[in-house]
Amino acid sequence: MPWPTTRRVIGTKVQRLDGPDKATGRARYSFDINLPGMLHARILRCPHAHARIKNIDSGAAEKTNGFRALHIIANAGVQLFFAGAEIVAVAADTEEHADDCLHAIRIDYEVLPHFVKEADALRAPDGPSTVPGGTPNVRPGGDFSTAKFDDVAYEGTAPRVEGTYGVAIISHQCLESHGLVAQWDNDLANLTVYASTQAVPLTAQALAQNFKLPVTRVKCITNYMGGGFGSKFGPDIQGIVAAELARKARAPVKLMLDRAEEVAVGGQRPSAAGTVRIAGTKEGDIRAYEVDCYGSPGVGGGATVNLGFLPYVYSVPNIKRRHRFVRLNLQTGRAMRAPGHPQNCLLTDQAVDDLAASLGLNPIILRTRNLPQNDQNAVQNDPTSFPALRHTIYTRQLEIIRKLCSWDDRWHPPGRGDGVIKTGLGMALHTWGGGGGPPNPTRVTVSSDGSVLVQSSTQDLGTACRTVPAIITADILGLRPQDITVQIGDSTFGPSTPSGGSTTCPGISPAILKAAEAARDALFAAIAPGLNAQAADLSIDTGHVINRANNNARIPWRNACGRLGMNTAIGNGDWPTNAQFQQNPDLRREWRGRLTNNGVGGVQVAEVKVDTETGVVRCTRFWAVQDCGLIINKLACESQVAGGVIMGVNYALFEECIYDRVTGRMLNPDMEFYKLGGIRDMPDIMVHMMDMPERGVIGIGEPPTISTAAAVGNAVFNAIGVRVPQAPFTPERVLAALANGRKRN
Amino acid sequence: MSDSKDKGGLSRRGFLQGSGAVAAATALGTIPTGASAGQQAGGNGQQVPGMGPNGVKLSLNVNGRSMNTTVEPRVTLLDALRNYLDVTGCKRVCDRGSCGACTVLVDGKPVYSCSMLALEARDKPIRTAESLVAGAKLDAVPEAFARFDAQQCGFCTPGFVVAMKAVLEANPKATQAEVERGLCGNICRCGTYEQMRDAIYSLCNQQRRT
Ligand code: FES
Ligand code: FES
Repeated sequence: MPWPTTRRVIGTKVQRLDGPDKATGRARYSFDINLPGMLHARILRCPHAHARIKNIDSGAAEKTNGFRALHIIANAGVQLFFAGAEIVAVAADTEEHADDCLHAIRIDYEVLPHFVKEADALRAPDGPSTVPGGTPNVRPGGDFSTAKFDDVAYEGTAPRVEGTYGVAIISHQCLESHGLVAQWDNDLANLTVYASTQAVPLTAQALAQNFKLPVTRVKCITNYMGGGFGSKFGPDIQGIVAAELARKARAPVKLMLDRAEEVAVGGQRPSAAGTVRIAGTKEGDIRAYEVDCYGSPGVGGGATVNLGFLPYVYSVPNIKRRHRFVRLNLQTGRAMRAPGHPQNCLLTDQAVDDLAASLGLNPIILRTRNLPQNDQNAVQNDPTSFPALRHTIYTRQLEIIRKLCSWDDRWHPPGRGDGVIKTGLGMALHTWGGGGGPPNPTRVTVSSDGSVLVQSSTQDLGTACRTVPAIITADILGLRPQDITVQIGDSTFGPSTPSGGSTTCPGISPAILKAAEAARDALFAAIAPGLNAQAADLSIDTGHVINRANNNARIPWRNACGRLGMNTAIGNGDWPTNAQFQQNPDLRREWRGRLTNNGVGGVQVAEVKVDTETGVVRCTRFWAVQDCGLIINKLACESQVAGGVIMGVNYALFEECIYDRVTGRMLNPDMEFYKLGGIRDMPDIMVHMMDMPERGVIGIGEPPTISTAAAVGNAVFNAIGVRVPQAPFTPERVLAALANGRKRN
Repeated sequence: MSDSKDKGGLSRRGFLQGSGAVAAATALGTIPTGASAGQQAGGNGQQVPGMGPNGVKLSLNVNGRSMNTTVEPRVTLLDALRNYLDVTGCKRVCDRGSCGACTVLVDGKPVYSCSMLALEARDKPIRTAESLVAGAKLDAVPEAFARFDAQQCGFCTPGFVVAMKAVLEANPKATQAEVERGLCGNICRCGTYEQMRDAIYSLCNQQRRT
């Protein structure tokens, strides 16, 4: 069951099926669901970064106009650990009345000490614990050292280079906020939710568990969803609360977070900062990388702070790493588009450029010399795997981008150039896993009128995953994508893997292929006898079934399907189970080496213009070379890469959650002072997809956003000749770095 | 973030001035401000009164149809459309005139509908993204968004489509730069600007950008 070798639709540029509905506002997102008699719910949240609830008085709320139900989330006596933590929820007939109800609730707090800035918590190692369990705010994150680092690391190297690099906590800022609409049936036996989620079946499961219902009695629908980026993997507190209120009020309830709530509790990407020492030979072989770093997961345990794989990408023989989690009184950090990787890239690739500068080398040369080698073991056993190919892939990508951006003409040594506005070029590399797995059961149904339906419970976060089943099925059945009806985002279609880690396209694609082939074979088996043929005599050509038993007669698709009469031809497809993989290595190689794969590389280059009088950085041009194995939809793939780059430019130049040390509250939980670039703030982006169809489908959502910020940081350094240590590279920070540079000289 | 002097007639500021936004931006967040939190902690024992008088009858002219409902005066045009009239192409994202997801045409001009009271929109023709399709016939602007894939999650898209439609209606000969300026009051989190530039190019030049 390999991918077809001649592909008519797969890998071409296919418009997403729901493009017109989305562009004209006809697509209904969870936020847009309005049901008869639906109530609106709101949540009252803690205004303090750390407090204990002394008393809740909700009596007045229950007498407020339009009040319908109330649900206490945190009772008196409970400690709350960040501003925005949930306390009470109400449902009312209108949103306005729900607001009134909230404002009628009185809560008394005992305010407790807090930390909302990494530096403050680090300065007070023996200070009060302000996080759950009374455990220390600062925790070790796993130190590491290669053997005899202190003895051998700097032997024979040119003088080492030291730098500090950091990046702020940012918010996912999904445009459709978190939340759902919950509806119970009359007996309170079945629950339906319309949720904005990256995990349709998991959301249904979590709700079933919470309400002690069989999972078959909870249905989650996600027809369209307005962005997740790693922050939407379940119902969350607000989803459960909406269902509680709906049950109490015996009416459907909509609870979608407002913008301030979305930013306060809807997810954030952990910060990272570190002091790096790096050294290499004068020829440019990196010998040592030493880092003392930390990141904040908010109040959570630290799982989202992945600084444990520094240094990133490059092969360095001597490594020493000290790594700490700084827990703060902020929401728990969540996975965000390549969790950990952008931070690791910033703390590695910027140091690499500083080393190149001190060695007087062109950074592209330094990178070429320090790429990880192809793993010989993998070359033998897993020739399409990333470890077997990484050196080959990066080398080719560096060659491609060097030409694409005219690196040799445009690059200049750091800080060269006259005038107020200085131009710079910077580069960075990244890697990501991707790859799919079971279960992703998919069903393809061919009807006698020739129509084709594909069903899977998977979800489309905006990556055009809804169009993937149409592309693959159309390719197998000789049809056009727009001939295929696709139904997704419905938990009653069975299990599917959540959309995290760039696994959706590689997760669903081979199951769709298998289902489409099975449906085709079922069709052939059903109609062959009537055509005086064996099933094996029949084959597909564009829009036709070909009958070899009858002079290769071409039967138009609809006529062929018409022979099904009252029947349908159904094909089911899914991954082998993990147990089957273990028993059969060939099966594993087929599914995880040819149909799909895991691991990609990418190289990006940014051009910036820095105004040295105002400190304003503009990213003017951008080049991205990306491997992603077999491309299913080139249009959507390129859009993912450009979108990832834009998210990375935002990360480099604009985005930052700013917290007030005294009140512990976020100062910019909005879209006015939390900056995101508009169309005129973004570079011209050239995307080059490095096609490697022999590797199978891999997944492209995350990789292209990883190295963007580091590339921009290096471009700024190249432009002005001094490092701006902290991202985002705001005018204030750029001017400070320039002033520091002048002081040193 | 773009230089504000370059934004032209469709800047955020222009939207705000044109739509009485300052008066409208009164909805309260659910996380109390420091002051109201203090009040709560103080507990003066008095019930907070409900805000605003009762509902008033409202008739809006939306996409050529007259629609009737009853809303309190504090209800924004956006909430009236979404919550009371089930017109949901305009999205609520920032609810504060910063993102453009709620953009609709009022009297042919682009307006942040989160920043205009519903009552102010009485007797004025209102058009939302839904007006840019009739049956299967797509207007050229959403058609270009679909063709060049200038959308991912799509939550920002109707706002962009309406803003772009406004520029091209006001000036069918608008240059690419002028169209881009008209989109400066809109934000896309998924980052579909590069594909939007393809769409803009095709609308301004009737051909594909190379
Ligand atoms: S919702 Fe109106 S501008 Fe953002
Ligand atoms: S397409 Fe998702 S925000 Fe623009």
